Amino acid sequence: MSFEELLPTDHVSEPTRAALSQRLAETTEPYEPQLLAPETFRLLEAVAARLFPQPDRPQPIPLAPAVDKRLAKGGSDGWRYDAMPPDREAYRLGLGGIGQIAQALFQTDFEALGPAQQDEVLKSLAGGNPPGEAWQELPANRFFEEMLAELTETYYAHPWAQDEIGYTGYADLPRWERIGLNEKDPREQ
Amino acid sequence: MPDEEVAEEGLLTPTEPAVQDPLLRELLAENAAPADTPQEQPQPIASPSEEVDCVVIGLGAGGAPLLARLAQAGLQVVALEAGPWHNPEKEFATDEMAQNFLFWNDERLSAGQDPLAMGKNNSGTGVGGSTLHYTAYTPRPLPDDLHLKRDFGVGEDWPLTYDDLAPYFEEVEQFLGVSGPTPYPWGPARSKGYALPPLPLNSAAQLMVHGAEKIGINTSPAANAALSGPYYQEGVGWRQACTNRGFCQAGCSNGAKASMDVTYIPLAVRYGADIRPNSYVTEIEKNERGEVSAVVYTQNGQPHRLPCRHLFICAGSVETPRLLLLNGLALNSGQVGRNLMAHTGVQVWGTFPEEVRPNKGIPGGLISQDTHRPKDADFAGGYLLQSIGVMPVTFAGQVARGRKLWGQPLRDYMRQFNHIAGINILGDCLPHASNYLELSDELDGKQVRKPRLHFTAQENEQRMNKHASAIMRRIWEAAGATDVWDFMRYAHVIGTARMGLSGDDAVVDRDGRAFDVPNLYISDNSTFPSALSVNPALTIMALSLRTADKFLERQRRRDK
Repeated sequence: MSFEELLPTDHVSEPTRAALSQRLAETTEPYEPQLLAPETFRLLEAVAARLFPQPDRPQPIPLAPAVDKRLAKGGSDGWRYDAMPPDREAYRLGLGGIGQIAQALFQTDFEALGPAQQDEVLKSLAGGNPPGEAWQELPANRFFEEMLAELTETYYAHPWAQDEIGYTGYADLPRWERIGLNEKDPREQ
Repeated sequence: MPDEEVAEEGLLTPTEPAVQDPLLRELLAENAAPADTPQEQPQPIASPSEEVDCVVIGLGAGGAPLLARLAQAGLQVVALEAGPWHNPEKEFATDEMAQNFLFWNDERLSAGQDPLAMGKNNSGTGVGGSTLHYTAYTPRPLPDDLHLKRDFGVGEDWPLTYDDLAPYFEEVEQFLGVSGPTPYPWGPARSKGYALPPLPLNSAAQLMVHGAEKIGINTSPAANAALSGPYYQEGVGWRQACTNRGFCQAGCSNGAKASMDVTYIPLAVRYGADIRPNSYVTEIEKNERGEVSAVVYTQNGQPHRLPCRHLFICAGSVETPRLLLLNGLALNSGQVGRNLMAHTGVQVWGTFPEEVRPNKGIPGGLISQDTHRPKDADFAGGYLLQSIGVMPVTFAGQVARGRKLWGQPLRDYMRQFNHIAGINILGDCLPHASNYLELSDELDGKQVRKPRLHFTAQENEQRMNKHASAIMRRIWEAAGATDVWDFMRYAHVIGTARMGLSGDDAVVDRDGRAFDVPNLYISDNSTFPSALSVNPALTIMALSLRTADKFLERQRRRDK
């Protein structure tokens, strides 16, 4: 069964339904950046669109708002690479650095590039030794890893992404009976 | 919690807690149990003049068992827990992201060549501490885990033997209702089997059975502190059996998993312990003799000062040394913050033709300790093997960090989620001069200096990981896996306030008592002299009970 079918059923607990419903509601709400400058936020959206291309969805799962919201709140996942500056500074520096890579490779802004060229920029970043003065200060591989992990966790926490991979673990009531190889409870069909 | 009517089908006879210590049995007889106390009653705010017998800081696996013990002995005990007191049934969502409040999310700095992931990997907060999200693995250490130095000439020996701890292992296992195989295939014979039969094997466990069998490695259903059947718990009533949610690492919502909030804490409350959630310790005061005299903390924004006769710091191996360093306590040995260790925990993932659905069932259903002392090892110590289940957000994050996949390849790989299964190790780690915790100059959200953890895996850890990766790959390939990859990982921070025989090179003695400060005790994995080749929770709880018993013994002697 899909998320839409399972959500209203007794297989989903109240606190689970509350968390998932809220996440779903936020998907379609317009979002105004709270911390990042509008142009920096647009750049983050453009980067997220290449790290998670979603041509299959009329409305993509929004990823940049979660980052901006967290940074605005000063939220943390409990640790930081010592080699990295604090998160707000890392994102500002790192996104600026992505702009510098685009300029160095293609002499234009990241957002103005086509998908293939944008991917070239991100490959250069992921490779760990990109051009641009931002990367003298910020370790490129760590920034890429941290940003990718945050966007990835945001993506797969979304019910649509969980449907995409066939995950129904949120519908865990009253219990899972069939947990062995090639075994499924009826609601997993 | 279910009341007794729900589960009175004669499945199990309600058991009295099996108290090992004769002194405590005596004390218990003197202090008859009071009537049941509801779990969630408002707690009184300390009046400025009160002086209590004992303050316990931190309510995880190190603090909760001794809190119950001290309360049972009739002492006036107050527990200060930085995090809130949750109602799992009402508050715990089956959703990883919604459960992030279970982790210690004030930022820590991770340095070194192998920076330790903290947060959800390695920390906890709330009444129950990290046990709120532990996977409930409860293997016992094997006897030679405690004397690595004697056997290999490296690391450190414990000032305790397996026989000192065995009665406490048994008591904890029986009290928590550990589900596991009887007899257990590795280690010395035991006087008592596990409280309950093992939990059912999920897909990953079944795959590991097949793969390991093909290459001649013995496996067994694991010991897990989650109930395979209803179990009676003093202070709680009947706890329900595990429903195979597989969500241990994001909080158990039905009380089947033996986190401290459904086991030792209700027991402590029943005997009058005063639990103060949301209480963050800011200062530990000393008198002119250098003894602890009071603890200063903030609760819900309000400052409080609580004078005490004895202090038990049980805040885990990051917050415990941080409190000691911030307050200049027990620093004479120079060992506070040093000897930081982390278990080798390399994971191997593979894709299988069968449907796995790795989110169901207890995540660590199967174990092997055949690799405890491998014959072909080029390293000291050893490790155990465990099958692992996983939740999608955690797994996806690891794929991003470990495989560096992004874009369409990441989405394509993740579409195989229901065919993914993993296997991992938990192995020993040696202390090393370059691995330590210090206070940085950066302030966290509470305006306290952030801890900085330095960790670099040394040659021994690297060799162990390599050995383990090769074996796990063979097992997974024998089980039919394709697209096999390693995720390098280190779990559990251990050893930043080590115990030892002398105050020259250790912070606390074998009873957990600080050499420098006679009324200060430490009970958590910071006191471990070596990392052990097993998950630490059971040993932390056993040491916690032992520390309480030794403390009570000392108080009794003083009275006479």
